[in-house]
Amino acid sequence: MFDKQAYTVFKFGKRIDQSAQNKRELLDKALPALRELFRLDRVYFFDWQQERALLSLKMMCKREYCMDMQEDISVLSEPDFLKELLRDGIADSTDLNYPAVYVLLKWKRPMMIMDGEEVKNVIKTRLGVLRLERFKKERVFTEKEKKLIKGVAAEISRNLTRTEVGQHNQQRLNIATTLNDLATVFASSLRLSDGLELILQGVQKSFRFDRVRLYQTSHDGRKIKSVLGVDISGEVTNQTEDDLPEDERTLLRDIFDSGEAYRVIHNVVYIPLKVQRNKVGFLTFDNLLSRRRIDYLDFISLKQFSNQIALAIDNAELFERVQELSNYDELTKLPVRRFFAEKFADEMARSKRFDLIMSLIILDIDLFKQINDNYGHQIGDWALREVSQVLLTSLRQTDFPCRYGGDEMVIMLPRTNDDECKIVAQRLKDRINKITIPSRYTDGKHVTLSISQGIASFPQDGQTPQELFDKADKALYWVKNGRRGTFAVYREVADDLPKEK
Amino acid sequence: MILWVMPDSGARTKTDYQKLVTRFQKEYPEAEVTVQVFTRNVLWKKIFMLKYPTAQETIPDVVQIPHYWTALLTRAGVAENLSQLDPGLSLVPYLSCLKPHCYKPGTKDLYSLPWWFDLSALHYRADHLRLVSENPEEDLSTWEGLLEVCARLKKQFADVEGYYPMQNSDWRGSLSTRSTFMEIWGRGTDLFTPELRRTLIATTEFKRGVQDYITLALKEYMPILRERGSLGTMMTGKASMLMSRKQGVSSFAGRKAAPVRTVPVPRTGEKSVAYLSGMNLMMNSAGKDKETALKFIKWCVRPDNQSAHAATLEAFPALEESFKQLISSSKRLKIYDGILASAHTLPNITITGTVVEILNKVLAMAATEIVEGRFTQVSLDRELDQAAKEVEYLLSLYEG
Repeated sequence: MFDKQAYTVFKFGKRIDQSAQNKRELLDKALPALRELFRLDRVYFFDWQQERALLSLKMMCKREYCMDMQEDISVLSEPDFLKELLRDGIADSTDLNYPAVYVLLKWKRPMMIMDGEEVKNVIKTRLGVLRLERFKKERVFTEKEKKLIKGVAAEISRNLTRTEVGQHNQQRLNIATTLNDLATVFASSLRLSDGLELILQGVQKSFRFDRVRLYQTSHDGRKIKSVLGVDISGEVTNQTEDDLPEDERTLLRDIFDSGEAYRVIHNVVYIPLKVQRNKVGFLTFDNLLSRRRIDYLDFISLKQFSNQIALAIDNAELFERVQELSNYDELTKLPVRRFFAEKFADEMARSKRFDLIMSLIILDIDLFKQINDNYGHQIGDWALREVSQVLLTSLRQTDFPCRYGGDEMVIMLPRTNDDECKIVAQRLKDRINKITIPSRYTDGKHVTLSISQGIASFPQDGQTPQELFDKADKALYWVKNGRRGTFAVYREVADDLPKEK
Repeated sequence: MILWVMPDSGARTKTDYQKLVTRFQKEYPEAEVTVQVFTRNVLWKKIFMLKYPTAQETIPDVVQIPHYWTALLTRAGVAENLSQLDPGLSLVPYLSCLKPHCYKPGTKDLYSLPWWFDLSALHYRADHLRLVSENPEEDLSTWEGLLEVCARLKKQFADVEGYYPMQNSDWRGSLSTRSTFMEIWGRGTDLFTPELRRTLIATTEFKRGVQDYITLALKEYMPILRERGSLGTMMTGKASMLMSRKQGVSSFAGRKAAPVRTVPVPRTGEKSVAYLSGMNLMMNSAGKDKETALKFIKWCVRPDNQSAHAATLEAFPALEESFKQLISSSKRLKIYDGILASAHTLPNITITGTVVEILNKVLAMAATEIVEGRFTQVSLDRELDQAAKEVEYLLSLYEG
């Protein structure tokens, strides 16, 4: 026998069964179809917030159009109505003075949640309510109509589930594509800082957070080295630990120490970045300004992606450390000769191009061979460390010292003339003269260190790195020849030097 | 061109905007305009998506915004610099209180233009009040007086089913953040300190201002979280008063059976302070049809069009001359001259919209607690203290 009701539901289903991108799009089709089918004056869609017993109005359809609406209705004071709606799936309005029925919608929504470090797929049941209204008092809903309304509501619920599943899958696919694109961009960046900037901008653009920040920390997690961020305008900012409020520094340390996989405070998500036992930093993103909920799927995806970021940062830092090891002398922590030569050539070229001045000091420790012979190599090494420490702490940021070989050290002083260079030389002399070899090695004798220094300046003394070096070396030779513990500028002693053949 | 607006005339919004668009298209027949209506809540979320829209998302060319969103939208790079598009645009004919909300803070460039605005006032049914008060204007001049009148009205209309002395003007039928500001300002405090560096939300006076307003719901003088369709309105006789930002010309005029008078919002402190809520038009910097968008904005703010549209929404036109014309058109509206003079509004800084969202959440929670009969002042104060901390943090991040 022909089932007219089933056929009507089937036809209704066909009408709304088009691929809707989201719930709103589906309701945009379903509500007018419902209004037409039952000749309604108005139809409303509510989300049911069970925990607050609230019907939260989201959408209204009237005549030929639908629009967003907002109204909260507490159903707490109407237990009978609630009971009936949950039991029968349909209930008459108890307080409107025209015919209106409420019909329940129940659909499924797939979700991902984190259980500790484990990601789980779960299905949550969602509830909604439709309110169908007729303004004329005599146009009451018949039992037959109510049965059909329930059938149609079930069809809408089925479509809602399908739309939610489709939307979830599409979202997952979009995120996977986004993260893959970001990883490709990151991998093709030549410098770590460029790569990180691109990543943060990409994350903000794709996930549309208000802010995304990356805190890089020391390996023990105690010190924040830098904070790279992208703000709401899309601009990249760079901060140091000093720029951060004390609360934030403490908070970050707390999270590291707690060993948590993540922490959410207000609308801010903090994800610690670790590689095995090495602490690398934090990835944080927030919607503090917009107060939009951070989607769980976005969060989980970024949590997984953060492992890649941590590994990349760790690798880059390792590379930097290896480079550092090859550029710096293990004993004195001063740059090595090769590294110095590169910098010296660069600085010389810059000075020539922009008509700048510069000076060079070559120094060695007086009677270093005797120190080694008399007190042993251990004291020799100690003396080298002490002298280099004075260099490292007495020079300006722009000055560049190096251990040239043995006890010979060289200092490049950009934008420094003879007179200024003499002041530096005097300072070094004074400070090094205060270094005393521990008396237990000298049989109680008071033995201090001293250095001899030769100075040459660009452009007066030489036009190439080699020329300048040779001149400073000659000045040093002059000092060593009976004037140990002092310093000399090449041009001031040139006449005294043996003539070159 | 796509226009995003809010449902300012409720279920009539789409029809009202269709009329507006039809009039625009009479002058610009080639212009295609699609109107999309979003609640303030949805619009708030959507504007944060405008910076980086996906291929599937439609983006607007023009957006109706609460005027204090201008700073945020310029900071986010979403609002177009209108002065750059048309250096001839000027704010000279506008009411001076609406001007600061059109600029990017610290600049003289216009990023939005005033369209219309609302002013809060207390409307009351003269025939109802006559039954409980010899001098309603006097009785309704203070908050204590208002509560006393509410108590008398409740008693007077005890046998009218579904009666409440005060109709709830909040669109959501909940506690309205914007309705608390008059009571807060009346108590001499504000959201922020004058230099806009700290918040005053945690202060006692602020909390007392919120408490003033909530009392209306606590004492059941005003319905909350009730189905709107089930409730009567002031015009149907199931309420006697309405604190609203709408001037009510078309709702109240010519109803001899339900005569309505308008007075300033009862003062909670020294003086009555009204809430001014401005609506501006902003152009999306990533919009695809800037030419039509500019034409549309300039057409909308023209005196004739602005006045007509404001009248549809029962709002006030933003142009000074048009405002004066409107308030001089009826005896009842004349009072708005004084109300405007005492009006305050929210500051045009980056975080204002967020602060309103935070307070909305606090009041939504309070509303649920009231309905469930578990509201306490202590829990509300605690929520406000927490909100103050969040706002302080935002201020430190965004410096206004």
